[in-house]
Formats: sequence, structure tokens, C-alpha cells
Amino acid sequence: MTSVLSSKVDELYHYVQERFLWQFYSRTWDRTENIDGIVAEGTCILLGEATKRDTPTERLLAVEAKVMVDDFHARFPWLKDATAEEVRVLMSGLREKLTDVAITSSKNHELNHTLY
Amino acid sequence: MPCEISDKSVAEVKIVSKKRAGIINPMYDCQPAGAQYAGIGVKDSIPLVHGGQGCTMFVRLLFAQHFKENFDIASTSLHEESAVFGGTRRVEEGVMVLARRYPDLRIIPIITTCSTEVIGDDIEGSINVCERALKKEFPDRQIYLAPVHTPSFKGSQVSGYDECVKSMIKTVAKKGAPTGKLNVFPGWVNPGDITQLKYYLSEMGVDATLFMDTEDFDSPMMPDKSIQTHGRTTIEDLQDSANAKATLALARYEGAAAAAYLEEAHNVPNHQINTPYGIKNTDDMLRKISEITGKPIPDSLVRERGIALDAMADLAHMFFANKKVAIFGHADLVLGLAQFCLEVELEPVLLLIGDDQGSKYKKDPRIEELKNSVHFDMEIVHNADLWDLERRIKKGEIKLDLIMGHSKGRYIAIDANIPMVRVGFPTFDRAGLYRKPTIGYKGAMELAEMTANAMFAHMEYTKDREWILNTW
Amino acid sequence: MPMVLLNCDKDIPERQKHIYLKAPNESTREFLPIANAATIPGTLSERGCAFCGAKLVIGGVLKDTIQMIHGPIGCAYDTWHTKRYPTDNGHFNMKYVWSTDMKESHVVFGGEKRLEKSINEAFDEMPEIKRMIVYTTCPTALIGDDIKAVSKKVMSERPEVDIFTVECPGFAGVSQSKGHHVLNIGWINEKVDTLEKEITSEYTMNFIGDFNIQGDTQLLQTYWDKLGIQVVSHFTGNGTYDDLRCMQQAKLNVVNCARSSGYIANELKKRYGIPRLDIDSWGFSYMEEGVRKICAFFGIEERGEQLIAEERAKWKPKLDWYKERLKGKKMAIWTGGPRLWHWTKSVENDLGIEVVAMSSKFGHEEDFEKVIARGREGTYYIDDGNELEFFEIIDLVKPDVIFTGPRVGELVKKMHIPYINGHGYHNGPYMGFEGFVNLARDTYNAIYNPLRHLAAVDIREGAVDSNLLFREAV
Repeated sequence: MTSVLSSKVDELYHYVQERFLWQFYSRTWDRTENIDGIVAEGTCILLGEATKRDTPTERLLAVEAKVMVDDFHARFPWLKDATAEEVRVLMSGLREKLTDVAITSSKNHELNHTLY
Repeated sequence: MPCEISDKSVAEVKIVSKKRAGIINPMYDCQPAGAQYAGIGVKDSIPLVHGGQGCTMFVRLLFAQHFKENFDIASTSLHEESAVFGGTRRVEEGVMVLARRYPDLRIIPIITTCSTEVIGDDIEGSINVCERALKKEFPDRQIYLAPVHTPSFKGSQVSGYDECVKSMIKTVAKKGAPTGKLNVFPGWVNPGDITQLKYYLSEMGVDATLFMDTEDFDSPMMPDKSIQTHGRTTIEDLQDSANAKATLALARYEGAAAAAYLEEAHNVPNHQINTPYGIKNTDDMLRKISEITGKPIPDSLVRERGIALDAMADLAHMFFANKKVAIFGHADLVLGLAQFCLEVELEPVLLLIGDDQGSKYKKDPRIEELKNSVHFDMEIVHNADLWDLERRIKKGEIKLDLIMGHSKGRYIAIDANIPMVRVGFPTFDRAGLYRKPTIGYKGAMELAEMTANAMFAHMEYTKDREWILNTW
Repeated sequence: MPMVLLNCDKDIPERQKHIYLKAPNESTREFLPIANAATIPGTLSERGCAFCGAKLVIGGVLKDTIQMIHGPIGCAYDTWHTKRYPTDNGHFNMKYVWSTDMKESHVVFGGEKRLEKSINEAFDEMPEIKRMIVYTTCPTALIGDDIKAVSKKVMSERPEVDIFTVECPGFAGVSQSKGHHVLNIGWINEKVDTLEKEITSEYTMNFIGDFNIQGDTQLLQTYWDKLGIQVVSHFTGNGTYDDLRCMQQAKLNVVNCARSSGYIANELKKRYGIPRLDIDSWGFSYMEEGVRKICAFFGIEERGEQLIAEERAKWKPKLDWYKERLKGKKMAIWTGGPRLWHWTKSVENDLGIEVVAMSSKFGHEEDFEKVIARGREGTYYIDDGNELEFFEIIDLVKPDVIFTGPRVGELVKKMHIPYINGHGYHNGPYMGFEGFVNLARDTYNAIYNPLRHLAAVDIREGAVDSNLLFREAV
């Protein structure tokens, strides 16, 4: 990833981190489901690709993704000029960063608790 | 107003017990709550409650609701492992943490709760351990540790208060040179009452110590931002309680055990009198103080008495006569208020006294006095809850013109549309009541006027002969 | 800047792990206060117990349910007259509390008979009420009374009643949080999917983790009514016992308080496939986002936009008036946990207020991840803060207003700092659009109160230019 793209990933990440609750649900399983699902949906929306909305959960992930992408467009004008490849790189960088902060490197002791 | 004349030749005072096993809307909190109230009455004291955190957090909130003040009370924060393996180590840790972080601390009443009494934690043993540790770490400080056994499944906040006062006295009182002073145990009263008592003692030139002096529970906002909310009774006061000339106990259930202890252990003569609600009880108190100390009752108090009588006479037979009253709260308060009511022609037809100490309450000499003076039927319910009052009203078993009691009964009055005078503890739904005396002549006058104003406001809101006041 | 050891904590150095001062370029990967851990005895913590987390916070909100507390009287007395959660049926929930008034003989011989008698009495005395929650307390748990068996027996004898049991003594867990959990899990295990109600809309949801503080639930309900969304159950603001038995019927779970009620939302997702949507109901920007998401889920985006437009037109000018006057003011938030992250950014975005210190009584590390992600740099984030720490923090950050409970409010008043009741509100509701204007108004009224400036004046020091901040006409 170029340093320009990497700093853009940071911009997206910082916005998401500050704004959305879905990355911080209670356990690894629901954080993963949200981060993976919403970023994937968001990528599709940005690329104008059809998204999968069969189950209620998928429908909700798509809703979250749409709100996120709308916010991105409102805040980051450079996004509309990104190529499809750049969008994929940005969003995958976003997913990695969110996963790292909210799951992999999280100091939250409860994330892998089987109960609550 | 219909004129109801009883065809009964003899008025009856019936003493009954709550019929239900459970409680719907309690009148009192549990023992540890009362112990905490006593514990904050001493300066440089932080009570340490050995139990779950709720036992402390809610009681601190309760005091804040009533006084609109914050009081420092600590918890041992009992958790599961202590419930299984015992919690004495948490007491020891709590004491040391308090001692380290609060350099002015001089006494820690260690208050047990239901859980730690069931577990059977050895508080006296912990105190021994702590005393050794404190001596080692703070050789120049003396911090008293008072064991206060207050399992919540016995008595109530009333007996908890009594127990904690006694334990602190027992722990600290020390025989020394006679002070010539008078010990006064006022019971669970408000800062306004303490101010009033101090005024009387000062007018009579009597050097006295109050256990507990809670006058500063009404504390100021100061330019230097200092926090002055604390008890005023000092460790020295507690020490010297053993060296007083005599003890005057103003409440039979709140502080009386400590007064009796001082007589038994330190030969301080104890004088138990009726709580000074109303004119006659105040007369008796002042005469007793005069008798013990040899000081005459000054003109100023004769005048105060006259002012009070003058004000009460304006209200009694015009507005209060034949009005039926229910009173609930602490036994010392309820029985005292009933005596006050008779003086102003109010008819206290229902008295509700809580908790399981019925056998004690039934023997109260004030009940005998009431029996001899009432001209109407009176029911005294002990071990009562507030549902005892509410259901009697709802079922039409009783018709009331007034309710006297604390704020936890507010909805009974609101829903039944009966005027209510807030008195006792807690009175969080009216402003500033903790500052107003209810004892002494002035207290009687304030109570009478508060009662009248509650009735007047009610007449206006319900459009019930409110025009009477057009010319009063 | 890593974790902070305050001066007052030099004798309890483990407190350093609970206090964080946020610095640039740091994230919760590096620093996260330890939370939901045991309190150090004697610290004057603000925490309550697990029993109150179940009874006072969640179960006791229900408007049609007897709250039978099996234990000594204090547990009932203390969890009564301490909340502001009205209902639309005359506040039954705030007027009454029930206790078995356990005595020493029950400790010795067991209290089950006493419980049975008390349950029957309660139903007899209030024959119109058919639902009950029975709670254990510390001593009844210690002696091992079987409250479930007693409740079953009563239910078999009184087929018209239904009883739920919560076995959550005060000493369980480390704070009220444990009680939230026990009630959540107990309810989904025993009561959800035991009843069906009539469904009147194709858009259905449960609204979870909102307790109708000063009418929050009722205010938000006006939105759901306008949007045509049927709320199957409210967990538990202005809620009923039977509605909560029908939670399985909803298509969406909307969660406001994830701390107290996230558990049941997750279980509803696992067991019934109902998706969970967490929202923030305080603040214009968040409320708009919440409405948009809910409407998008149901495909009724236009209704949502219309509601938002109407509400903004009505309330935004008022909000902006206050924002103009609150900009740059410093706020501290010392409440339970979730309101830290619900509020820190919403008061900043909507009112220009800077939140400079926050303390949570019972939040978990998850709550700190959320609040540190949202909160400012230079702000203190404190788990289970105690009184001496509060004094030190006040000195460090000098807040203009503190959102906290009434007792701490009385304490900081002496230091000339106004408080707003961060639990029960001053004059709410505070949720929704109208609610946030209420919050702004109360904050303005607190900060612009002349008394605190007068309190700072020492009349012995000659004439003082008191320079009082008097209020403007709204």
C-alpha cells in the first residue's frame, strides 16, 4: 500500500472508530461478524456491486454499511475519485485495522469469554 | 363539617400487630443503615460497612436525599469469594486503606450486615489484627475501631442506630477526671433539633455534650470551598462521656442503650425522659435538666414557651379540633407526636410503629399515658408497614384529615388526597425540613404551623371552605 | 501518556491500572483501563450491588409487576424512591416495594415458608396484579432458600399468576453489572417465547436498554408511532411483563444501553436470528442516525427522513441557541458506564461542550473501548473512581459542570461546581431531539447559575467586582 493510501485508510479508520458502535459489540464473534460484514458490504456499495441481503442479519449489515459509506462520501471527497482497485485496498486496510484494534490486539479481557 | 359525637362512653386504645408476614412499603431501613447514621455523627469518623456495596451506596444516597449533603461511608465491598471463604481480610484491608488515605481519621465504626453475620466473620478478631497493624504503621496515631454488630434481619434502622452509638461509646469512653458536664442523647433527630437543644442548654448555662452533635449535617457553601459536612461530636467527647455528671436520654430507642451502658459501666447517672415533642414533654425536659444541674429555667424559655402557646392557641380549637390523624415513623417520634397532637386537639387515631421490637414498644410508658388521656378510639399498630395505612384508607376503614410521617409515605397522601405533614426521616420531598426543629417549644410551634399550612393549602386546592381564610 | 497514578492513590498503586489520560496517537490497543474488577475495600467507591442491578435498574421498572424481595427489609427499602422512571399507568412501579422482611429465625430455619406466605399475601392484597419477580438477597442466597421451587408451587396453586425468579445476591460479581447479566440471561432462558401477542405492523422491534428515565421511552415511542413501527416489547422502560415474554416476535432488536441489556439482544440473535442494532438515543446527530438505520432496515427511509426533518425544524434552533452559550464549557461525566460513550461526542457535536473527565461505576472494558475511541485527548477515563480521586481530578480538569448522581452532586456543590443528575436527570426526558434540548437547557441553567459565583465571594475582602454571569432570555 502506498503511503498516500495508507494515510487515507487511517482517515477512514479514525472516523469509523469514533463513530460506530458495531465494531465494539461484546464478543469476538459479533465484532468479527460486524466488521467483516459491514466493510464487505461497504466495499460493494462503493463499487456499485450488488449485495447479498437474504437474512435479517445481512439486511442490517447492509444498513450499517450504507450509513458508513454515506458518511465517508460526506467527509472524504477524495473517495469519489478512487479507482476500484484503490477502493478494495482502502477497505481491506480498514477492515484489517478495525480487526486489529477491536479484536486481535484488544486489551478487552472479555472478548473470548464463552459466557458473558 | 358534620358534627360527630361518639356514643362510646369509654375511648379504647387498641394495640395490634401487622397481620401479614411480609412487608409492602417499609417504614424503616435495616440496622446497618441506622448504624451508619450514628457513625457519621462523630468528627473524623468514616464508618466501614462490612457487606455488599449496596448496603453502603444506597444509605449514603438516602442521607443525601434527606440532608442534601454528602457523607463519607466506606464499604468492604464483599464479593463472592468472601461469601465462601470469609471476609475478615477485606475488613483488615479496608481499615488500612482508610487509615492511609485519610490522615485525620480517628475512629472507624465497623458495621456488620446480614451477609457478614451469616458468614460469621469475626469482627473482634479483625479489630485485634488491625490494631496491631495500625500501631506498627502509624505509631503516632490512635484510630479507634468500634465493632458494630447490626445484622439486617433483626430490629431496624432504629436499633442499628442505638447499637452503633453504644459501641462507639463503649470503645472510646474512658474513666478520667470528672467534667461536671451533662451527656445528652437526643436520639435520631435533625440538625434543627440539635440547634434547638443547644440553645436551651446554653440559655440554662448548662455545659453539655450531645451524642451525636449533627448540627453540621446542614453545612454551608463557603468561599474557600471547604467541606464542613460532618459530625461535631469529637473523640474527646466520647472519651469524657464516662466522666460526666449525669446523662439525659431523650429517646427510648435511639441512644438509650449507650446511656444505660454509661450508668452501668462508669456510674454516670442516667435520666430517661420522654422525647420533647410538644409543650408538656419539653416542660419535663427543662425541669429535669434543672433538677440535675441545679440551674434555674430562665425567663427567655418561659417567653419562648409563651410564644409557642400563643401561636398554637390560634390554631388548635379553630382548625385542629376533631381532625383525625395517622402518624407513622420511629416509635420515639410517633408516640411523641401523638402526645403533641393531644395538646393541640388533633386526634391521632392511628399510630404505626415499625419493626420486630413490638414487645419493647408495647411497654412504652407513653402508651400508658395516651391510654389515660384520649377521648377517642386509637389504634396502635406495631411491626407495621405503610400498606397498613394505605389499605385502611382504601378499604374505608378509616377516615383521615391528616397524615404525619416521612416522605416514603408520600404517595398514600397524594393518591388519597389527604394533607400530609412531612416529619421524621427521611423528608426528601420537601425543602429544608432538616433545618426546622420539631422538638422543644419552638418545634411544637413549627409543627403546628406546618400542619395548619398543609391543611390550608389543601382547603385551597380542593376548594373546601377555603373562604374561611379570607378573614383569618 | 499511559495510565495515571494519582497522588491520592499512592497507597493503593493498583488504581493506576484503572485511570487513563488520553494522548495523541494512542489507541485502546496500548492503553485500556481495567474494568469490572473487584473494588479495593475502604476506597469510598461509588458502586452498588448486583441485586440492585437486577431489581432497581431493570426488573423494578416494569409497570405491572410485583417486586418481591426475599431478604431483610433494607434491600427493599433502599431500592425504592431512588429512581425516576414513571409509567403511563400511574407509576405503580415507583409506589410500591415488597419484602419478606426476613428475620433471624428464617436464617436459622430457612425462609421458604415466609416467602411463600409473602407471595400469596401480595397477590391477595393487590388482586388486579398477576405478575411478580422474586429476588434473592445476600442472606437468602447464603442459607440456600430455593426461591424457584417456592415460586413454582405458588404458580401451580394460582394458575392465573406468573412469577419470574432472579437469583442474584448483592455480593455476586463486583458491581450492579452482574445483576443486569443475571436478569437478562434468566429472562431469555425462562420467559421469552412463552407468550404471543397480536402483531399489528409489518415493522416490529424490541426496544432494549432504555428505562424510561423521566419519560425517555414515552418520548421515543412517539417517533415509533409516527413511523408505524410496532414495539413488541420495551426492555424495560414503561414495559410490561407479558410483552417481554413475546420478545421472540420482533424482527429487529434496537439496543440503547448495551451494558445493561446487550446480553439479551445477543441471545435473541443467537436463538431467534433477530439482528441486533446498537444506537445512541442521546443527541441530534446520533438520534438521526439511529432513526435512519431503523427505517432503512424496514425499507421505510422516507418516513424516517420526514420525521427527522420535522424534529429538526422544531428543535434545532433551540439547540443552537444553547450551543452558542455552552461552546467550550468543560463537563465531567461520572455515571454508571454507557452514558460516558453515549454523551461524550454528542455533547461535543451538538453543544460544543468538551468532556474533560469521565468515571464509570460499573462499565466493562468494552465500555472503555467505546468511550476512549470517542472521547477527547487530554481527558481522564476512570474506572470505579472514588471520592479522593474525584477531588484530585476536579483540581486537574476544572469542570464547569458535572453529570453525576445527587449525592456526589451535593459534594461538588461545596466546591462551587453545579451538577446535573446524570442518572435520573434534572428535568428530562433527555433522549431524542426534544430531550437533548432539555439536557442543553438544564446544563445552561446549571452553568449560568449566579449562586455559584456568589459562593466564591468572600464578603470580608472589601467590595468585590463579582462579575456575575447572569442569564439571558431564551
